Amino acid sequence: MPWFELFLAFLQVGLVAFGGGGNAQLYQALVLKRGWMGEREFLETTALVRVLPGPIFANTAAHLGMRLGGLMGAVLALVGVLAPGSLLMLLLSFAYFRFGAVPGSLAESALDGVAAAAIGLILATMVRQAPVALDSLKAVGLAAGVFVTYGLLHWPLLLVLLVHVPIGVSLYWGEAARPWDGAGLEVPPRG
Amino acid sequence: MDEVLQVFLTFLRLGALSFGGGMANLPEMARVLMANGWVTRQEFADGFALGQFVPGPNMLAVVFYGLAAAGLPGALAALAGMFLPGALGAIWLVKGWQWMARSQWSRALRKALVPIAMGLSASMVLILVQVGVDAVGWLLGVVVAALLIHRGVPVVWVIGGGALLGLLVGLA
Repeated sequence: MPWFELFLAFLQVGLVAFGGGGNAQLYQALVLKRGWMGEREFLETTALVRVLPGPIFANTAAHLGMRLGGLMGAVLALVGVLAPGSLLMLLLSFAYFRFGAVPGSLAESALDGVAAAAIGLILATMVRQAPVALDSLKAVGLAAGVFVTYGLLHWPLLLVLLVHVPIGVSLYWGEAARPWDGAGLEVPPRG
Repeated sequence: MDEVLQVFLTFLRLGALSFGGGMANLPEMARVLMANGWVTRQEFADGFALGQFVPGPNMLAVVFYGLAAAGLPGALAALAGMFLPGALGAIWLVKGWQWMARSQWSRALRKALVPIAMGLSASMVLILVQVGVDAVGWLLGVVVAALLIHRGVPVVWVIGGGALLGLLVGLA
């Protein structure tokens, strides 16, 4: 696959992936539009990428770039999805520190409104996922344990994970005994 | 140069720990950045809000935080630190994914990370409300925004509506 074509595909996704819809855009661009990989391959690999730390969208892009074009493909894919947003973010940040960082200013007030809407988005996502994510007593217990130690008691994140990940893995050990049947795969929304 | 290195190492640590999505480390990020004196409470909230306007991963707000800490080199250092750990893992996963898909501990880990991510998200909402919502009215705004998005109103509209409402409040 020509590197330029690969870079262009990821760059286009990086330009239009607003509001956390990155994976759906990748699906559109790579599977539906260009047919570079099959649906099942896309879903299986993106599901696995979720165990990694960091932004799922960027990790997925790096992973798919590696599959399509080796190490150079991974670098191009990552730069492609990150560059447009990073440059815009840099411009906005410069403008903010030059003009906007005045308490009580209009820009400040507009950003308060944006922050409220963005927190609402996280809340809405949680509400949507809760029935699936908190489907058992152990799941509720794990989530509550993380919230109490991290959100309320302000433990360092590393400590929170060192305590809860091993507990979580042992709680789910039995359930994980049967081979993976592709459960947990979700088709990204189209559009 | 020391400052830039410190920014890089700080975000590298945050990036390596943010399981369950890029923003899981937000509460710790807020505490660390404010303790280092790189951003004020207001700047942290504003940087997060600005991050909603750009395409790509939500956590591009790290560019803002890096810039505040150590100028342009700081912005690049924050970006690299935040995204490198996951990206390297994702690249490795191309070789290791079949083994990952088969092994029992990795399946157990994937299952366990789902409720853990919920707990991290709840902590994230809490810290964002603490640093970003300084008027009771906006708390109502958070709930309304969540309801609208839950009802299927496109995210871009709700974010834009929030900006507009903020402008109106500022004018009043």
